[in-house]
Amino acid sequence: MATAARYGSRVDAGLLVGCVVLSLIAVVLKDEDREPVASALRRSIVAPLVSLQRGAERWRSAWVTSEQRQLAADSIAIRGIKEQALLVENEQLRKVVGLGSRLEWGFVPAEAVHSAAPSEDVVTNMTLTAGSLAGVQRYNPVVAPEGLVGVVQTADPTMSVAILYTSPDFRASAMSADATAFGIVYPHTGRGSAAYMLELRGVPTRVQLKPGTQIFTSGLGGTFPRGITIGTVVSELKTTEPWTRTYLLRPAVSPSHVTTVLVLTAQRVTQGTGNVWGAAVNADSATRRIAAANDSIARQAALIEAQARRAVLDSVRRATIDSVRRSLGAVVTPEAPDSAAGRAAGVLSTPRMPVQRRDTTRARRDSIRPDTTRKSPT
Amino acid sequence: MNWTGAVRTMLVCAILIVLHYTLRPLLAWRASIDFLIVALLLGSVRLRPGAAAVYGFLLGLVADSIAVSPFGAAALAMSIVGFGASWLKAVFFADNLALNGFFLFLAKWIFDLIFLIVGHRAIDPELAMQIFVWSPLAAAVTAVAGVLALSVLKPLMEVRTT
Repeated sequence: MATAARYGSRVDAGLLVGCVVLSLIAVVLKDEDREPVASALRRSIVAPLVSLQRGAERWRSAWVTSEQRQLAADSIAIRGIKEQALLVENEQLRKVVGLGSRLEWGFVPAEAVHSAAPSEDVVTNMTLTAGSLAGVQRYNPVVAPEGLVGVVQTADPTMSVAILYTSPDFRASAMSADATAFGIVYPHTGRGSAAYMLELRGVPTRVQLKPGTQIFTSGLGGTFPRGITIGTVVSELKTTEPWTRTYLLRPAVSPSHVTTVLVLTAQRVTQGTGNVWGAAVNADSATRRIAAANDSIARQAALIEAQARRAVLDSVRRATIDSVRRSLGAVVTPEAPDSAAGRAAGVLSTPRMPVQRRDTTRARRDSIRPDTTRKSPT
Repeated sequence: MNWTGAVRTMLVCAILIVLHYTLRPLLAWRASIDFLIVALLLGSVRLRPGAAAVYGFLLGLVADSIAVSPFGAAALAMSIVGFGASWLKAVFFADNLALNGFFLFLAKWIFDLIFLIVGHRAIDPELAMQIFVWSPLAAAVTAVAGVLALSVLKPLMEVRTT
């Protein structure tokens, strides 16, 4: 038994040594010597495994290629999205540059970083990348090319925080485009998209604003200069106040799209912004002036025409009366040459009765004077 | 080992060898699973050490013929590992998955050690990185996969007495 075990161990050891020796021989063989062996194995016993491995590698290659294509497609899509975002940003920056060139002075450009607390549904404030060192002060208006964005709440040296028009603390004195209606703009208390709407309160009941009417800052109160676009009237809101109306406004500026803003300085607020956003206001007033001028010209022309017609009628009537009187043998008083003009000028004289003038009778008397019939002695 | 057990073991080893040439290229991990080592250990513990060495040698030749590695390195490494596994089969037969996993890890690492040293024929930093970083990782992955494979294939390996 022990002999058999010892024999078995020797056989095992011998087999191990044999395998090791053969392996080492294979290792030390030159390439041209061992390649035929490997090739023969690949073509015979290992052929199914080679085929399996090739198939798996092909699958792997196809999967990697598909993944790469997907990645490439994703990259193109992402690039497209980025390009779109860049186009939008470029457009907005162009507008800001345009606004800056129209304002010319009295503003501080700043980037807007939105900061909404996790619990807030609505963005109510934004951080601006310009502070008091750049000239930003508290209560400076924050504007965008489209219109009013908010007001600076705190101004640190290098940054500032502005509240948007969606903030519950926001108020702005406002007026309609034709300056017939004034009121105070408040944030609209609603949820979802309605949370970004505004309310124009305190408009007198006698003034009714149509949907689409543009609302601007009125300049009252001194915080905002006159003429910054706030929004447009959407509809009238029903309230319990009997003497005033409240209107729902759609803001001109969407806070989520604002990335770059201008902060108007206090001096600019004091001196006004002129014709920057207020094109509609000025155009409206100009239109009203032109219309009023047209009206007065037309009214004056109509008056002159009526007076001229009346003068003509008077002349005709007078001529008729004279001819009738003449035919009846009555004395006709010649009309003063300036009477028609005087009437036409609006100086309506009292109707004068025909007066017998002395020279007229004298003339008549002369006509029957004997000396006129008397022949000369010669 | 009776005839049925031998057939079952051969079947499981064949499955593992097929997995080595199908699943491994598909995964293409840097630290890849070595199903051949699992198949080698699984067969070796059921054979005498000498037969296990021959089994390892043949398995190594198969691996060498397909791989671009130096011909004979895998055969040498697998011969030694197979012989050692068969010699330590009493330990390996312990019905403990963690112990089986450890021996799988050890077998794979020793295999890589022999294979890399014989294949590289020179000590360089890349070889050290391979031996001390990638080989242990590959051994760990192989151990986990081997334990899973043994657990899955255990019903197939068990010999029914009734």
